[in-house]
Amino acid sequence: MTAASLSPLASPIARLAATGRRAARRVPPSVALSLAVVALVIAWALVPGLFTAYDPVVGVPAQKLLGPSAAHWFGTDHLGRDLYARVVHGTASSVASALLAVVIGVLAGGLAGLLAGFLGGWVDVVLARLVDILLAIPRFLLAVIIVTALGFDTTNTAIATGVAAVAVFARVMRAEVIKTRQAIFVEAAFLQGGSRWHVLVRHVLPNASRSVLPLAVLQFGLSILVIAGLAFLGYGDPPPASDWGLLIATGKDYLKWPWLVYAPALVTVAAVLSLNRISRWLRRTD
Amino acid sequence: MRPSHRMAAGQRNPDMRNPYLIYAAKRLLQAVAVILLAYLFTFVVVSILPGDPVTNVLRDPQNGFTEEQIQAIVAAQGLDQPIPVQLWTSLSHFLTGDFGLSMRSSRPVATLIAEVLPSTLILASAGLAVALVVAFAIAYGTQLVPTRFGGGALRALPSLFLSVPNFVIGLVLIHAFGFQLGLFRVIEPDSAWATAFAAIALGIPISAQIAEVLIANLDHEARQDYAAVARSRGLGQARLFARHLLKPSSLPVVTVIALTVGEVLGGSLITEAVFGRTGIGSLVQRSAAAQDLPVLQAVVALAALVFVLVNLVADLVYPLLDPRLTLVGPPRRRADTADDTAAADLRTVTG
Repeated sequence: MTAASLSPLASPIARLAATGRRAARRVPPSVALSLAVVALVIAWALVPGLFTAYDPVVGVPAQKLLGPSAAHWFGTDHLGRDLYARVVHGTASSVASALLAVVIGVLAGGLAGLLAGFLGGWVDVVLARLVDILLAIPRFLLAVIIVTALGFDTTNTAIATGVAAVAVFARVMRAEVIKTRQAIFVEAAFLQGGSRWHVLVRHVLPNASRSVLPLAVLQFGLSILVIAGLAFLGYGDPPPASDWGLLIATGKDYLKWPWLVYAPALVTVAAVLSLNRISRWLRRTD
Repeated sequence: MRPSHRMAAGQRNPDMRNPYLIYAAKRLLQAVAVILLAYLFTFVVVSILPGDPVTNVLRDPQNGFTEEQIQAIVAAQGLDQPIPVQLWTSLSHFLTGDFGLSMRSSRPVATLIAEVLPSTLILASAGLAVALVVAFAIAYGTQLVPTRFGGGALRALPSLFLSVPNFVIGLVLIHAFGFQLGLFRVIEPDSAWATAFAAIALGIPISAQIAEVLIANLDHEARQDYAAVARSRGLGQARLFARHLLKPSSLPVVTVIALTVGEVLGGSLITEAVFGRTGIGSLVQRSAAAQDLPVLQAVVALAALVFVLVNLVADLVYPLLDPRLTLVGPPRRRADTADDTAAADLRTVTG
């Protein structure tokens, strides 16, 4: 329902995004809607200029704090800038940083889990302890500490979010690798004379990483939330950047004009909710 | 980590006199190791990563320290020592309960934390209470309300709650109840109403995780034979829920609650900022801005301590609460838990 109000372009994009998979599996309507929302968000990130004619940085002071209308879908902010334009242009930064966080989490966590599960022995013990530590520190606190050490900007919040997510991926990957290693086809590959490296890359990794995909999608949504939280606390790029979290943070000083909070918040929620739905669907169909 | 779900009470290993005690001792040792390592970890992260607190903060012209003052602080903190020496000093002090002095204010870190801890504890426990109430209410609703009258919507609530940043929940509450209804004033963050709404903002995302597990367990129990028998005897949904389903379904929630403790602490960082409360969150924020390593290290160690202790208690109490669990010999952590951690991770460890 939120997606429908976001843009009339949503449904054709959904069809485009969904046709590739429809041959293989049936797509429930809620998943199609979620794919549409995600496709729209990606489109906003790639070509923001196509979706809005307003400038996200330069405002018209005479038109400040206008309510949502046909001319300004999300209203205007305290400097007379079109909020919809700011949301659309801020998407790239929010999405790219969440993506970076997920990539860090998947690569570092996946590698750690793969090694721990495949090699076993002391490697496993050391990595398991490390994961225990990472899990014991509240993730948001950990992210704040890492951002503090790296310096405050949006890329660093993404790195911090990714590092804070390493433990989860490491655990899942390790469990999957251990499960896959016991499979008969792995044993067969060893018996055929396959080297450890060959078996790892050709057999264990592809099978074990299957369950990492839904987790990565879920983590993508969570990273958007964590990065928005860090931006909200002021650890990201300063204005005139327009990350979703930063827009909400700016809006909180103007609660008399609540759309300044509600519009970017709705976009964030719609995106994360869609990602969660897709992740759930991927998990179920696998 | 968790006791294995095997019910072979008869096969007692002769070497293991009391498997429970051995299990408890192992978990205790693990807990101590994790806390110490968390302290070390913070030290390493902040020392290794680029960005030097001395140049960044002390030499910042805005702070107006003279060169002598900087030298004095550096000497007092031992920052002129090589890193391994610094590490050893701080670790040995930590072991004796001495958290050192704050770099920003030169006051003992323990005092700084003690000042703000009560406020955060109130918020965190209230938040956890809200989370429990909301989670059980949603779970109760899913069992009672038929799908076509909104039961499906109830099932979707947890994933909605997980998708809303908790500062947005806080802002919506402030806007609706503070501004529109005038129940509380933002400039009085410690009033009862403001605390209650802060607890709601903190509790709602946490409730989602508890509710997801609870609903899954309830659905599982409702499909069991004993539930069918109870229904065929003419037991209504409400009594079936209260008498039969609730107990076996809520026991595993103990571990989930323990796992969310970290998120309660992390979430209160943001919630405190939204509602303008002073607490551990505001202390962390001020210390982060000043790269005040001793304070950050102490807070991380404290958070890890709380997390590890709560999980330790949960793991130790759980086998006692659930008579279906029997520990056979030392719990074989890795091989046994491999399968269920994968699923549990996806379902529970989110925020």
